[in-house]
Amino acid sequence: MSNSKLLTGKTALITGCNRGIGKETLKQLIINGADVVCLIRKENSDFNAFAMPLAEENGVKIVTMSADFSDEESVKNAVRTLIKDKTRIDILINNAGVATGGLLQMTSMVTLHDVFQINFFSQVLLTQMISRIMMKQRCGSIINLGSVAGLDSFAGYTAYGSSKAALMFFTKTVARELAPYGIRVNAVAPGLTKTGMADAQEPKSADEMIGRTSFKRLGSPEEVANAIIFLVSDKASFITGQILRVDGGM
Amino acid sequence: MANLEKYNKVFCDTLEIKEDQLPGLQYQGVDLWDSVGHMSLVAAVEEAFGIMMETDDIINLSSYEKGKEILRKKYNVEF
Repeated sequence: MSNSKLLTGKTALITGCNRGIGKETLKQLIINGADVVCLIRKENSDFNAFAMPLAEENGVKIVTMSADFSDEESVKNAVRTLIKDKTRIDILINNAGVATGGLLQMTSMVTLHDVFQINFFSQVLLTQMISRIMMKQRCGSIINLGSVAGLDSFAGYTAYGSSKAALMFFTKTVARELAPYGIRVNAVAPGLTKTGMADAQEPKSADEMIGRTSFKRLGSPEEVANAIIFLVSDKASFITGQILRVDGGM
Repeated sequence: MANLEKYNKVFCDTLEIKEDQLPGLQYQGVDLWDSVGHMSLVAAVEEAFGIMMETDDIINLSSYEKGKEILRKKYNVEF
């Protein structure tokens, strides 16, 4: 997929692209010719050292903006700047998220609220605002990062799994609402993927998830990013409201 | 075209009503001002005045008069 530029002339906004799936997706966006607005929690030299040369090499523009996804006003301010600058947004990738595990009796309401704020409410807010730009353009593509943890049941996923389930239901609902404006909305649902989030998981729980896959292995961030790039590209022009599992056959 | 004239035209064209129906007109007061029509109305208002309304303002645009108030207070449109 990376040999053909699928996204030339498009501008993408991606959240949480400092590491893991987000970072790999950012790389694929750049390689595929998209200009990118990166909405990240904190700008850092490692990120700039990674993204800027890659952008230059591929002749695309990168803009980095800061937003704290636990703070709605911070997200709103970032988008207000984009609206003020009349920035075109063709693609929105809601990738930012937080992983947390814990049995029901060990999940505090504070944790539940915090996880939902980052994994669901801030994604809804961002979609609400960016889709207004897309509605004016009469086109756009939105991807939400779901999870198999929001589709299948695993012990210990009350907060994370529920937040991802909400995000994936939201994906289907909003796909119907935005279709009249030429906007497609889809989600990918990765299985356990080789990222920092997977490393933080209890080995027993990770082994159980790997054991459920047909390939008996972790996914790679690149494999998830490839699915995202396909869905945001015009190659997927008749696909909306779908949850694409990228899970090695669970 | 004066702003009031522009504003009235947006309402009349989008909701397919006559100008004498505008005073006191409320959301869902005519057939075409339903939830889908509301978004068309917002898009037409934004286009006419070169603005982009915030979500809270879209929700609060509950009548012909309220719309004027929002445009005046938050988007510096003088009537």
